[in-house]
Amino acid sequence: MPSLADVGQLLVNGVMAGTILAVPAIGLTAIYAVLRFPNFALASHATIGAFAGYVANARLGWPLLPSVATAFVVAGSVGVVTDDTVLKRFRPAGYITTAIASIALTIALENVVRFVFGNELRGYELPIQRDWRIGAIRVGPQQVTNLAIAGVAMAALFGFLGFTRMGKAMRAVADNPMLAAIKGIDADTIGRIVNFVGMGLAGLGGMLIGLDTTIDPLTGFRSILSVFAAAVVGGLGSIPGAVIGALTVGIGEELCLLFLSPDYRSAVGFAAILLVLTLRPRGILGQRAY
Amino acid sequence: MHEIDNGGDMPHRTREPRRRFLKRAGVLALGGMAPAIVRAQGTPLQLGVLTPLTGAGGFDGPRMAKAMQAVIDEVNANGGLLGRKVVLVVEDGQTNPEAAVRAARKLIDVTKVPAIMGTWASAVTSAVAPLCWESRTFLTTVSGADSITRLPHQGYLIRTQPNNHLQAGKHAEFIASMGVARCFMMSIQAPFAEPTQTRATEVLKEKGSQMVGTLIYDKDKTTYRSEVDQALRTNPDLIYLNGYAPDVTILLRDLYRASYAGKRFAQSYAVTSKVLESLPHEVTEGVITVQPSADVTSPAYELAKKRLGIAEPDSYETQATDWASLVSLAIAKAKIATGTGIRDNVRNICQGGGTKVYSAVEGLKLLAQGRDINYEGASGPCDFTDIGDIVDCKFRYNKVTDGKFVLLKVA
Repeated sequence: MPSLADVGQLLVNGVMAGTILAVPAIGLTAIYAVLRFPNFALASHATIGAFAGYVANARLGWPLLPSVATAFVVAGSVGVVTDDTVLKRFRPAGYITTAIASIALTIALENVVRFVFGNELRGYELPIQRDWRIGAIRVGPQQVTNLAIAGVAMAALFGFLGFTRMGKAMRAVADNPMLAAIKGIDADTIGRIVNFVGMGLAGLGGMLIGLDTTIDPLTGFRSILSVFAAAVVGGLGSIPGAVIGALTVGIGEELCLLFLSPDYRSAVGFAAILLVLTLRPRGILGQRAY
Repeated sequence: MHEIDNGGDMPHRTREPRRRFLKRAGVLALGGMAPAIVRAQGTPLQLGVLTPLTGAGGFDGPRMAKAMQAVIDEVNANGGLLGRKVVLVVEDGQTNPEAAVRAARKLIDVTKVPAIMGTWASAVTSAVAPLCWESRTFLTTVSGADSITRLPHQGYLIRTQPNNHLQAGKHAEFIASMGVARCFMMSIQAPFAEPTQTRATEVLKEKGSQMVGTLIYDKDKTTYRSEVDQALRTNPDLIYLNGYAPDVTILLRDLYRASYAGKRFAQSYAVTSKVLESLPHEVTEGVITVQPSADVTSPAYELAKKRLGIAEPDSYETQATDWASLVSLAIAKAKIATGTGIRDNVRNICQGGGTKVYSAVEGLKLLAQGRDINYEGASGPCDFTDIGDIVDCKFRYNKVTDGKFVLLKVA
């Protein structure tokens, strides 16, 4: 019989895992809200972010925060360029074509990373700290830092969407693109901004995953299904929904260990998708962007 | 159309069959009239090599082919086999079952080899093996999956690589010999996970140690904190991390964070030198790794070193050395170069009470004198069970010290 401390530990682990998952999930859902297609190229942008952060941290010797900022900026910039040069051309052909093109793009970009950095595992030049013990619960300092970085990134995004002109314009396009166009909002500019922010968050998420593990060209690809699950559970297109979805998937995957063997962990995430979509076809929070 | 297309080639085409006819007639005439030795030089004995020269096995395949060629060069310098020069026909398996099957078809149907040596990946061997036993072609492999020797191969297959069962048993013996009382095993979800856990549990119990728990974890997770918690609740002296590099790296980090002070044990392919580079030294300090090893104390190993001109031939190079030797000796013993001849005679030259020999040439000389031999290989004793598995082999144990591998022992 599991003790209360076991349940508490699993909850803590679930929140940690969920918060990291939330960062790229927000990126995916934001891009979906504005451009109306699931952009699977998020996987390679997470990898690119992780490697950009690696270059800043391990090669140039920068500390954690500037490296994380580099991951965001590089992945975001690559996102703008790849969308302008590749995916934009597919959008008139419909969202399925664009989504498939995004899968092709992600494989191509992943191989560019492999070409430049090779296949081996790499780690950041950061010391690994022992966990803190608070009563019977174990908490990792690195994970608390990750939690804080993820929290700050999410708060900044909500601030951007809620209080800036550009953020409001983005929400307007997400809610009603035609009305937004009539009001003179330039959809191209908004598309670029959402790509920068969305892919930047993917890059940031990739680096946060890498801080906890190691990185290789498949870092993003390994997580994309969980990220997609989180976004769908929360309501694809809803930014707060992505956070709630990620926490649901993260905590659900951990709590299932009370009853199931760990090799069923991923299955639980996808069972959650089926359950939520059966009960609420538009996800927990529906599709309203904000 | 046909005529117009080939018009320019006409003179050439008429000459070609005539030339071929003369050649064939010449061969036939020589075959009928010349003494045996001349005939032998005319028709070399072809043996198939099907190693991966590209793909995931591309690092091992070319070295294995080279090791086989070195043995065959020695055999040829000693007069060949059955009075014939031996030629290796090398095909690239590409570490890909589909490509390997095509290459094997060519070796079997066109070249008509009696033996194919060198399949590496288990998926490739599983695909190529049925072609071999159906065409009565002998197959030698390094693939480790338990399922391979359980195929209905009728004896047309041997492998020199220890299977999971043998590996798990040997690892457990070693763990018990270190005085570990409580062992926990964390395995990645893979076909080898459960059989390895079951076998290790059995052997630990036999040796007075105990498997206090096992779990199988999902691959591709970003953290295994909860799994580590589950393992640590059983208070183990040693945790066997039976996974691949990406997940074992995360497990090592999570164990360090959880302040686990016991021993950690892993396969050498999961904790590679690249993994050591990617992790801080304090995280990997003391990790013990294991890999199948060549028999470094064997005279056959010394001979392989000289023959290949390298300081430390590895497990794959020595296994390839042994295949070329075993196949050559079995053909000599059978006095006929067929797959069935090799199958029926391979155990007569590598196990039993004959004189111990450590190279193909040494064995060929004794066989020529009508004596019984027992080939002892560079990779190990080369004694096989009825289904073609090796009975015993050596393992190399390393310990990570200050970010580097230090040899503990070969046993």
